[in-house]
Amino acid sequence: MHTHASFFRRPDSSMTPMLSHVTSRLTPIRATLVLAILLIVGSLWMPDFLQSQASNWIIFGLLGVSLVFVWGKAGIFSFGQGAFFGIGGYVYGIASINLVAVTNETVSAVVLATLGAAVAAGLLGYFIFYGKVGDVYVGVVTLASTLVLFTFMSSTASPVYHVGDALLGGYNGMAGIPPLTVGWPGGSPVALTIWQTLAILVALAALVLCVLYTLLARPFGYIVSAIRDNEQRTQLLGYDIRLRKLVVFMIGGAIAGLAGALYAAWGMFISPTVFGLQQAALVVIWVLVGGRASIAGAFFGVVFVEGLSTLLGSGGGNATPVVLGVVLILVVLLLPQGTVPALQSWLRPRTRASSTPVEAPAAEFSGGAVDPLMPPGLSAGSSANSSLRVNGLLKRFGGLTAVHDVSISFAERGVHCLIGPNGAGKSTFFNLLAGRFSPTSGQILFAGRDMTRAEPHTRARAGMGIKLQIASIFPGHSVHENVWLSAYAKLHSRAAAEARATEIIDWLGLGPLRHVLAGELSHGQKQWLEIGMVCATAPGIVLLDEPTAGMTRTETARTAALISSLGRYANVIVVEHDMAFVRQLNVPVTVFHQGSVFASGRLEELQQDERVLNIYLGRHGGQRA
Amino acid sequence: MEHASIGWLLNIGVSMALSIAILALVSLGLAVMFGMMGIINLAHGEFLMCGAYVTLSLTRIDVPLWLAIPLAGLAVGVLGYGVERLLIRFLYGRLADSMLATWGLSLIMAQLTVLAFGPSTQGIPTPLGSLSIDGYSFSRYAFVIIVCAMLLMALVYLMFTRTSYGVMARAAVQNPAMAAAVGINPRKLNALNFAFGAALAGWAGGLLAPMVGVMPSMGEAYIARAFMTVVVGGPGIITGTASASLLLGGIENVVSYLSTPFFGQGALLIVAIIAVRLLPTGISGRWQRQL
Amino acid sequence: MFNLCGKSLVLALALTSLVPAHAQSKDPIVVGSILDETGGLNIYGKAMADSTRLAIEDINKSGGVLGSQLKRVSYDAQSNNANYSRYANELALRDKAVVIMGGVTSASREAIRPVADRNKTLYFYNEQYEGGVCDKNVFNTGVVPSQQLAPLIDYAVKHYGKRLYVLAADYNYGHISADWVKTYATKDGAQVVGTDFIPLDVAEFGSTITKLQDNKPDVVVSLLVGGNHIAFYRQFASAGLGGKMTIVSPTFGLGNEQTVLGAKEAKGILAIYPYFQEVDTPANRKFTALWSSTYGANHGYITDSAVAVWNGWHLWAKAVQKAGTTDRTKVISALESGISIDSPSGTVTMDGSSHHAIQNTYFAQANDSHGFTIVGKQDAVPPAFEKEKCDLIKNPGLHTQFMPGQ
Repeated sequence: MHTHASFFRRPDSSMTPMLSHVTSRLTPIRATLVLAILLIVGSLWMPDFLQSQASNWIIFGLLGVSLVFVWGKAGIFSFGQGAFFGIGGYVYGIASINLVAVTNETVSAVVLATLGAAVAAGLLGYFIFYGKVGDVYVGVVTLASTLVLFTFMSSTASPVYHVGDALLGGYNGMAGIPPLTVGWPGGSPVALTIWQTLAILVALAALVLCVLYTLLARPFGYIVSAIRDNEQRTQLLGYDIRLRKLVVFMIGGAIAGLAGALYAAWGMFISPTVFGLQQAALVVIWVLVGGRASIAGAFFGVVFVEGLSTLLGSGGGNATPVVLGVVLILVVLLLPQGTVPALQSWLRPRTRASSTPVEAPAAEFSGGAVDPLMPPGLSAGSSANSSLRVNGLLKRFGGLTAVHDVSISFAERGVHCLIGPNGAGKSTFFNLLAGRFSPTSGQILFAGRDMTRAEPHTRARAGMGIKLQIASIFPGHSVHENVWLSAYAKLHSRAAAEARATEIIDWLGLGPLRHVLAGELSHGQKQWLEIGMVCATAPGIVLLDEPTAGMTRTETARTAALISSLGRYANVIVVEHDMAFVRQLNVPVTVFHQGSVFASGRLEELQQDERVLNIYLGRHGGQRA
Repeated sequence: MEHASIGWLLNIGVSMALSIAILALVSLGLAVMFGMMGIINLAHGEFLMCGAYVTLSLTRIDVPLWLAIPLAGLAVGVLGYGVERLLIRFLYGRLADSMLATWGLSLIMAQLTVLAFGPSTQGIPTPLGSLSIDGYSFSRYAFVIIVCAMLLMALVYLMFTRTSYGVMARAAVQNPAMAAAVGINPRKLNALNFAFGAALAGWAGGLLAPMVGVMPSMGEAYIARAFMTVVVGGPGIITGTASASLLLGGIENVVSYLSTPFFGQGALLIVAIIAVRLLPTGISGRWQRQL
Repeated sequence: MFNLCGKSLVLALALTSLVPAHAQSKDPIVVGSILDETGGLNIYGKAMADSTRLAIEDINKSGGVLGSQLKRVSYDAQSNNANYSRYANELALRDKAVVIMGGVTSASREAIRPVADRNKTLYFYNEQYEGGVCDKNVFNTGVVPSQQLAPLIDYAVKHYGKRLYVLAADYNYGHISADWVKTYATKDGAQVVGTDFIPLDVAEFGSTITKLQDNKPDVVVSLLVGGNHIAFYRQFASAGLGGKMTIVSPTFGLGNEQTVLGAKEAKGILAIYPYFQEVDTPANRKFTALWSSTYGANHGYITDSAVAVWNGWHLWAKAVQKAGTTDRTKVISALESGISIDSPSGTVTMDGSSHHAIQNTYFAQANDSHGFTIVGKQDAVPPAFEKEKCDLIKNPGLHTQFMPGQ
């Protein structure tokens, strides 16, 4: 199957470097508040029907925002926001019908509905994210869930199906839902007028938006966008992405539920069609038209698509779906990022930093009392038991044994190379250490702790730093943000992470490129960046998979120096093909062959060994499977 | 359940086989598009509907049904080729955008059909009548559908393994860069893939037309289930579709019989959810099959 | 270039969506209609929309109402229930319609109802449904189970046998009607040997046909609805069951099933409605001629829903004339005083206390020329259940839908 993962994770270039945005991070919030006030005041002059229409659009807009948050910001493609919308609506209906006589208000019903939807999202999210369901499949599971709800709720026609005084109503829907009402027990209920409803809705929407913008500007927001940008790398840094995705999904569910409750109050009616395929697709369409990653875009998409259908429905009845279909196709072809980002880039053209390739900095790697090469954060004396021991590690794929009963012990500190011909099992062994595969049998002990079946993020937190073969960085974030995210994973302090990030970037020699998007770096620079990110987590053991793949001679030499200096403070295991590089490192080497350890020693000795030469050249002397 | 006679068993068996066959039929075209090109085609139901309408129109001008259905599929294939050239080719690699655009396409196709043929349901009488075994009546056409489902899967298999188009298509999926490097024209291949998927949908529609009502919105009833079957099935076009249809269609039929079709539908959805959870890469993903 | 095109397109369309669609003029009386003219439900909605246009033209041609012409504002809900709330709001608040007529499914009625109530706009629901709605602001001209199912089950038991199997669409209408069938069957000494509820999007009836063959009833009562369910009749016929059991149905024909099915597949199915196109009365001859001249001789079969809509508009117009004003309260009083019109189906009277229509019903069997042959008639059938439960003159505050057994 294709790596459909990449289809959902296009870099979002709207994340700008952090340091320079202390003030401008307030702008979306300020803009929201200003717009909200303008709308509330301005709507006093709007005719009734427009106020009611605007209320409807704001409600749908909130539903769209919930999808923008979970999909555009966090990369979770939920095809089932309608499910939480509907749950919110039905819970509001049930709660308000039963409570309004007693409490004279329906605000509590709105709160209950929001909570109900959040709980539902929590349950479904737990099922999905802790079950490692990914990408398209999340879409399918969420779609199936909303359709199940549709099927179920459509069949509750009989009066048997009721909660207190509220009849579920089946396909006909729940009738008799009270509108938004304020009051208190013992007082008298006051149903809000059309304008008052609009004002409250605008205020609520503004509140939700401000909360979201604030969240997104905090470390939580950066981590969430990192998950969207490169989920695997986020996990390898030690973040528990399952938990974060669950939280995001619950927030999205709560917002959708809130919208649903308000919808039921606005129409005084809710029916199972909110759970149907058409509604599910509509949410996606609003968001895509408005701009997948744009919160403001959700409102625009709603107004545009719904406004267009309303207009068409009252005019050329026959042509409505055709026109809507044509418009959708045009939007996809002409405005692929969605309308709001297109408008934004039209009004404020962004200057993209030109990708000037950086030559290897002139820094001399001389020795000295204070080691200028010391990777920041790692101290020479750090004890951190960083031994790695592997006992009888075995990995079978069906009939093929890739790693055959390997037992090695890697000493406390220093660099160690793993080499071997293609198919020798080095990569599989590496992936077993990294936690990307789980072994058929055997044991992995890191610093004395059993890490055999630990999740990748657990290994990272325990001090294992992992750099995969293909540069796995956050292409949509700046160099600084990349390293900051890595440092924050360990330090949990924004300021400390800032400081550490600056140090490491300087150490790497990438200072001038601090604010460049990582996706625009040259290949070699990306590899260094990733090494730097691994260092930022102050690991006790570092696993590097072909770090010099695709590098030039000069870059390779520099990488050797970086790794050597790293080796003074951590246990570095490097899988490599490039013999020149291995020679530069001048460290102990282990040769793999057909899944087992074949030989180990220093490179010069091994290069004289007939047996080793045989396996590399595929000669008769070497055993064949 | 009253008598466990041969006729009754046969009736249950045929009914189940029919459910499975129909699910496989409507999912096959979508599986080709998704498996070969990574496109989610939300207009798949409308291609099916087109096949039904072409079949209907051909029978109205007295083309025999057994000829009308293959012709209908070919016609829809040509339509698919055109759609690919005009729209889909801009959308590769853009999964979400392909959904949006094909949803728009489905709206257009459905409404154009209404404008051309009117909104009400039309029909083709079911041919071949019925046969009676042990007191139970069986529609002969049900057997036709079951056999045709298997034939179409065999056709897909042959296309992808015995024709040069098929071999190239599979190569291009496994390694697009390499395929282009050895001279395979990816654009033409994509168009053929899409056309083939559309033709399969058209054949499904044509085959179903004599059994169900032909109406512009008939596609809607199938798209969600086809989508789920394809995803549960996984990347293997034939193995995936067959296994997912067996699982989902079989369970739906059994539960429908034991209780009501409502629970049957619910069961299908719930099983789909569980299947995706347990086998995140689909059933055939486990077996690592491409076909 | 593309980008610029795209941006101007967006701006243009965004701006136009803010322009109100209809300008108001002072003299004509604004009336509103919301129906599903596109989407899956338009197999019912289109004929109803056609009838709306025809009825209003007809009223206008006879001089309009209170000397003013009627201005029709119609919305196409596109088979999307969410649109009903929206358009109802628009009709009430922006277009300021004095009456809203609309809704195809009961779900759409329930979406319109609270909006019409809140904005104090009169509302007519003109379509067959499961019965029981009791709301001062709502009038129903569609046929209800006590007018349809009671005589149908009577007829079936008398002519075909005492073992009934019920197949119902799996939503409110189906469930409630199935309950009614059981009630009426018991009254007639017959037995319901099985009931199956089929979801609306199911078109595959294999397991159902198996169960029918297991149970061998005399009569199959079909409460199936929608385009997908037509497949049942076809699959039933192709399994050769037509000779073994008779299908009776209060819904067959509403979606033009008899024109879709082959002649042999439909033959013999018994239906009951207040109106069939084949009804032979002077009023109907005039009506069908009018329909043909407006919509062409090749028009689709005129369904009972279309005539229910016609009845709604004419009853309202007559009530307004009687009340002398379009003021809602006065029109309601006029309607409650008992208005009758000469409808294509015969005399139709609005029953004041229950807000439902007293009308004739015809029995007909599908014939082999894609039409119906009328085999029986009942005059002035009252909506018995609604009359029993719902007296809006005595209890104007009633606001509910009664179910069987309540």
